[in-house]
Amino acid sequence: MAKSDDGIHILQGLLVFGNVVIGMCGIALTAECIFFVSDPHGLYPLLEATENDDIYAAAWIGIFVGFALFALSILGIIGVIKSNRTLLLVYIILMLITYAFEMASCITAATHRDFLTPNLFLKQMLERYNKLETVNNNDKWMTEGVTKTWDKLMLQNQCCGVRGPSDWQEYTSAFRSTHSDADFPWPRNCCVLDARGSPVNLDGCKLGVPGYYNSNGCYDAISGPMNTHAWGVAWFGFAILCWTFCVLLGTMFYWSRIEY
Amino acid sequence: EKLPYAPTLARTPLGGLTTTSTFVLEQPRCVFTTLGDDAVIWLVVAIPEAVENFNNSVGPGTPERAFQGFPGSADAYMTLNTTILNYPCPKPPGEITVLRVGSETGCTKDERRPTCNGPLPGPGPYRVKFLALNGSEPVAETAWSEPITLRTARPLSSIPAMGSGHSAGMIALTAILSILFAILLASLVAVLVFWGSDAYGGSSTFSKPEAVTVRRYNTHHAYDQPAARL
Repeated sequence: MAKSDDGIHILQGLLVFGNVVIGMCGIALTAECIFFVSDPHGLYPLLEATENDDIYAAAWIGIFVGFALFALSILGIIGVIKSNRTLLLVYIILMLITYAFEMASCITAATHRDFLTPNLFLKQMLERYNKLETVNNNDKWMTEGVTKTWDKLMLQNQCCGVRGPSDWQEYTSAFRSTHSDADFPWPRNCCVLDARGSPVNLDGCKLGVPGYYNSNGCYDAISGPMNTHAWGVAWFGFAILCWTFCVLLGTMFYWSRIEY
Repeated sequence: EKLPYAPTLARTPLGGLTTTSTFVLEQPRCVFTTLGDDAVIWLVVAIPEAVENFNNSVGPGTPERAFQGFPGSADAYMTLNTTILNYPCPKPPGEITVLRVGSETGCTKDERRPTCNGPLPGPGPYRVKFLALNGSEPVAETAWSEPITLRTARPLSSIPAMGSGHSAGMIALTAILSILFAILLASLVAVLVFWGSDAYGGSSTFSKPEAVTVRRYNTHHAYDQPAARL
């Protein structure tokens, strides 16, 4: 008798510990997802214009799931300590629902990350950057977002185009239809600009003299934060779910052993 | 006088060496050695078919050599006129000495500027040479360059935008999570069905910990008993 009592106490202790970890991870997940949703790198307009911003949906779900995990972990700790069958059953069912939502968030973030290729951003940039004739309000909003974001990207990261300035030469674009190739081989923001925003040496920029124009591509500056975002949501969520799996199995076992 | 020098594209690495309507030539430094200060050096841009029968005496500014008629009515045009003073010899080291052909966009349609250095109308190929004129008489010329072809822009619809297949990480994540969730659901069903019912007694269940109360024991001491007997 004493031995099984000890075993049950150990199980109780483990479950309480497991729930404490779940609670803390829930808070961490909420904080991480709030950070991603706040878009510190200002890349959201690019995703919005792809009309498929599931990474952000995954982060939003993550905020609420994290908070739910925290609340449920407190419920779980109370249920385990009091060995209350009802409380624990409620805990298990609500945790399974939260598990399903978090699963959806992880899979969405991971799947959508594969969708974001250099060609996607190249096509979007060529189609929308500085496009003047817009079809409707939504189109205008997205076009303005893309143009502003690219201008900011090229200025802050000293880069040009997705793979390089030659993107503007190799393909036709909305920019090319309004700006002649002789005056603007590439947008002005590809030039090295001085503090007032005008090119240091306009002729040098047009010629493509190294040092007066940005010769590297912006894809790294885009994919870096997006990868962190997607992997942060997907794999941290995956880790939480693996731990929750063990705790839930233990809780179900514990629940089945409570004398009714 | 025919010089052996042939114009070439600029030798320094430039991002805009050839674009879809411009190209960059190396300046003819230390090429025209016997030229007077008042001779004018012109750049001749021609389609390859015009090279064989090219007449040096046709002056710049005539309709046969007007930029606005190139390449339809004029099979060559002359532009970028300057004197030898702008091509000093020797070339200072470290300086970029280039000529950008096609940089003047303001006079593309202006018939009054037949020597406009306007953007090239198509990808070419084009052949160029330098021609020095004293008044209207040709005094020196370089050889014709190799054909220069400009870039062609592909339509952006040719970019394949559909993503590649799914990465291994995503497939592993989906598979593992689905399996774990399935196990959890199955365990829940099993626990509810088999062990949730009242009928299951079993020695392995444990009772809830009851509230521990301190019971006061009546201690039966020897000195109490005489009181009870009395």
